[in-house]
Amino acid sequence: MTFNCFQSETVTIRNRLQGKIAEMESFAGHLEEIFLTVEENFGRQEQHLEQHYNDVLQTLSQRYDERAAGLEEEKKGKLEALYNQLLACGQAMDASKELIETAQEVYRSQDKRLFLKEIDLTLATCLEFNTPLADLSDVKTMMDSINVVPAPSAPVINPQMPNSATQTSLRVCWSLFSDDTVEYYELYYRPVLEDMPADSTFSTVKVKETHCTVTDLLPNAQYELWVTATNTTGISPASEKALYMTVPSPPVIKQRECTSCPEAALIRWESGNTNPVDSYTVELSEMGTDGTESSVTESIVAVPTCQCLIQLQTGRRYLISVRAVNIGGPSVRSEAITVSTTGTFFYLLEDSAHPCLSFSEDGFTIFYGDEELPISAMALGDNTFTRCVAVLGDLIPVRGRHYWEVEVDDGTEFRIGVAYEDTGRNSYLGANNTSWCMRHILTPSRHKYEFLHNGWSPDLRITVNPVRIGVALDYERGTLSFFNVDLEQHLHTFHCHFGNYVHPCFGMDNPGALTVHNGIEAPEYTFI
Amino acid sequence: MDNVSHPFYDTLMALTQVSSNKCAGGFQKVFEHESSELRCKMKFAVYLPPKADTAKCPVMYWLSGLTCTEQNFITKAGSQLPAAEHGIIIVAPDTSPRGCNIEGEDENWDFGTGAGFYVDSTEDPWKTNYRMYSYVTTELPKLINANFPTDPDRMSISGHSMGGHGALICALKNPGKYKAVSAFAPICNPMQCPWGQKAFSGYLGSDRSTWEAYDATVLAAAYSGPQLDILIDQGRDDQFLTASQLLPDNLIAVCSEKKIPVVFRLQPGYDHSYFFIYSFMHDHIKHHAKYLNA
Repeated sequence: MTFNCFQSETVTIRNRLQGKIAEMESFAGHLEEIFLTVEENFGRQEQHLEQHYNDVLQTLSQRYDERAAGLEEEKKGKLEALYNQLLACGQAMDASKELIETAQEVYRSQDKRLFLKEIDLTLATCLEFNTPLADLSDVKTMMDSINVVPAPSAPVINPQMPNSATQTSLRVCWSLFSDDTVEYYELYYRPVLEDMPADSTFSTVKVKETHCTVTDLLPNAQYELWVTATNTTGISPASEKALYMTVPSPPVIKQRECTSCPEAALIRWESGNTNPVDSYTVELSEMGTDGTESSVTESIVAVPTCQCLIQLQTGRRYLISVRAVNIGGPSVRSEAITVSTTGTFFYLLEDSAHPCLSFSEDGFTIFYGDEELPISAMALGDNTFTRCVAVLGDLIPVRGRHYWEVEVDDGTEFRIGVAYEDTGRNSYLGANNTSWCMRHILTPSRHKYEFLHNGWSPDLRITVNPVRIGVALDYERGTLSFFNVDLEQHLHTFHCHFGNYVHPCFGMDNPGALTVHNGIEAPEYTFI
Repeated sequence: MDNVSHPFYDTLMALTQVSSNKCAGGFQKVFEHESSELRCKMKFAVYLPPKADTAKCPVMYWLSGLTCTEQNFITKAGSQLPAAEHGIIIVAPDTSPRGCNIEGEDENWDFGTGAGFYVDSTEDPWKTNYRMYSYVTTELPKLINANFPTDPDRMSISGHSMGGHGALICALKNPGKYKAVSAFAPICNPMQCPWGQKAFSGYLGSDRSTWEAYDATVLAAAYSGPQLDILIDQGRDDQFLTASQLLPDNLIAVCSEKKIPVVFRLQPGYDHSYFFIYSFMHDHIKHHAKYLNA
């Protein structure tokens, strides 16, 4: 019974001991873990400290070197000064000796007053070294900063990514070297302007992420950006400065300066940006017969100037737009222009017009009013026709076939044809060898028609006065033909190899009007 | 020979080839046939362009001037190259019946043989044979269309001097029949010039009202029909212009008034010869091609 009782007590104690042992084992495990962590942390801390003390020592030794160099320099100066004084002293001794001799002579003489000559023998150089107080505050800061969380190191700003910019915004990204603790970043930016002072103001954005989109910027402008990281301990040094560029504003197509023919179009535009851009991209898409636009079918890239001659297919309709491009990327598209390649299309070069001419709103009807212009209104530009009341058309420079029509009334005396761009502005169309034209003259008895070049015309008679004249120019064959459109009647053909590009020309010899019709398909008979 | 009764063979058999020469990629040929209209053997020249080997081609009829045969035009006018280029067959008939044994037919160079004036004579002794108008407007086209690869709907007409007169009256008297017409130094108003007066009084008699049917200027004044486009070249140094045989101004005045489209070109330095014709033949063939190949 006692034994049994004792035995059960033993079992209880043993179990309790076993439990304790297990607890102690787990405690020992915990201790081991803690030990490892502490050891690891100490290791890391030791590394940090070591690095930090190294920094401090390096700084101190640097300071020491600087200071020692300074003292050395000072010592050298002082020694030089002392040496100089020694020399001076020697010289003074010599002088004194002479003086003594002189004094003895004086003594020997009767006059005893000359011996009292004073000699300054004090040292001019201060014997104390002037040691300035060492400013060790930064060392102290470094010592103080030996802390648990180091301040972050400088972030690394990324170069600009393609297509990350718009006309007014830039998306900027950066990263950190290590697993620094960072509370927030600050992004600094300012435009790089030609006349920018070095310390011009900058803007700041505070963000928690490692990227940021900066808005409200100038188009086609270069920006300088840098970033700092901050935590409770402090602020990191600034990153390197990166240069980003916003994309340009879209160009503006100059509708009235675009010209086309069945094979090509010449598109001209304004940059839309005050600063130069790198290049332009011209995009064209063909329009379906139902007016729908297909996706971009072709683009011409790296166009350096504000104009582009584009080869096209005959008898189609195209939508053409332009983008300006810089290192930041392409601008949005300009407003598109519609080009139809049915016929040759051009506007008039109104700056070449004689002052007596005026134009309808669409630019295609030319008026020669009969009221006299005051002299003041006769403002003549370099390009202006001064004698012949005429104007040139802006024909596309393509050596193909071109056709246009001119509507006249048979009371108007006119000259229509072609001329070289540099045809004499003070001579009459057809009177020189740089222009070819059909001329209508009203004589008291009849309508006379001339086909003038270099002042000469064949002698011919036309029985039905043309009121709509077709002009067909064929560079390849070297022909310029005139037709009575209503009758499909051939009137005359000039045969001439046009060495340069020609422009359509329209002149009037008496007040009246004429209307240019272009962009129309050349009738088949015009190029037989 | 029961073939004789067959009309097709009848016509075909009637053609005899006189000569054939390769020219400008095609063939310049001369044929002889028995004309029912003129009741004599007639020669005509035909130029077949290369295109005629494979396709039906339009035909331009060329009417020659006083004293000419079918030979003058084909040897001197330089028409074959442009005709080959534009794929046009050119038919050039003789200028009058020949060898009809009419008294006085060979006495004058400007009347009788070589001077048929493209009229149908109403006067003895000419009226049996001298029916050149019907010959060139009816019999010859039928013969040509039956024997050559032509498109009968596309024909045009041109000529020189008396032939220019012929071309103009054929076009003006048959609105729509000829797609194009042109002329070199044509006699424009024969009623008013010595050549025309002599020929018309001989062939048509003294009643001047019958002459009007063959005078281009008179016909133009009365023309109504499809739009014409007449091209006329005239040498300025042409002796017959100066001698008032041609009178183009009369025709131009009428056409201006009637709004019949004419381009009349006075070519400085040129005379009445085939040298003049040769110089502007290309322009004329092109003028015909524009309407024949439209």
